[in-house]
Amino acid sequence: MWKYVKKLQYPVDVKKKDLKMAKLLLEQYGGGDGEFAASMRYLNQRYSMPDERGYALLNDIGTEELAHVEMIASMVTQLMKGATLEELERYGLTSNYVYSDHGIFPVNANGVPFSAAYIDTKGDWRSDLESDMAAEQRARSTYEYLMNLTSDPDLLAPLSFLRQREVVHYQRFKELRDYYIEKYGEKGKN
Amino acid sequence: MNNYQKFVNNFMDQYSNSNYMSKKGNCSNLYDDYQGFIRGNLFKNLYDPYKIKQPYEIKPMNEQADMLTKIDALSFAMTDLQLYLDTHPTDRNMLSLFNEYREEKKNKVREYETKYGSLTTNSNSLNNYPWGWIDEPWPWEG
Repeated sequence: MWKYVKKLQYPVDVKKKDLKMAKLLLEQYGGGDGEFAASMRYLNQRYSMPDERGYALLNDIGTEELAHVEMIASMVTQLMKGATLEELERYGLTSNYVYSDHGIFPVNANGVPFSAAYIDTKGDWRSDLESDMAAEQRARSTYEYLMNLTSDPDLLAPLSFLRQREVVHYQRFKELRDYYIEKYGEKGKN
Repeated sequence: MNNYQKFVNNFMDQYSNSNYMSKKGNCSNLYDDYQGFIRGNLFKNLYDPYKIKQPYEIKPMNEQADMLTKIDALSFAMTDLQLYLDTHPTDRNMLSLFNEYREEKKNKVREYETKYGSLTTNSNSLNNYPWGWIDEPWPWEG
């Protein structure tokens, strides 16, 4: 189960309205390499890890990703705060408005809704962990693209924090993968 | 623990990042809790920044924000060590460092909650009337 802590993992305090960045940041909310997908993927994969190290790591990284979902949602909410209908229209957010006004909905930057297909699970530690390592690298790339598109320090600070977490998670998944190769052999589950 | 696991654990310890020397801050391979927090990473060998020349400092506007930053940093140090320990469960130095941070965080949270209200529903501040859990700030408000 989970207990809520009434704070963010890293503070988000965006003072400047920026609808372009709000729309683009949705990629890390409801996109295939986004935080929501990452959290659900790891929490779902943990049940089929072969031993307790895997249970723990997938559980703990999946839990941390939930805190990242909350950071991204906070950034999008603050970036859209006070936006007029005309402004939403100018930045292609009227489809979001029609569905949920200023509320946020898990879609990617192109407005494609979140899909359960992003939560890949093969039930084989080698397939799953190597997929997770790749997922961390893909999310790192996305954070770099996002950082290339803004100069607002209120966004760059949390984005660079989140990007570095991808680097650390990649390393831990890799350590677990290497440990399992040592323990169970190169061939994965079978 | 069977012999195979013992062998693997010894192997992992030998090649671990641990070079901790008894008091946090003295460890040459780790940032301290705040320096690690603003980088998103406690382990110096994993820090790999992009675009920014130096990490952004957190600039708390008042005492409450300052205390929360300290709690953020201690919580972060615990999270990063937790993930490390998941893959290096026999690293005694990192284990004791985790527990030092855990103890310090527990004290800071108690101090914060007494002054400013609950961070979790375990807080004694929820003895007060009326129900204070709903009080602002909620974290996404900025």
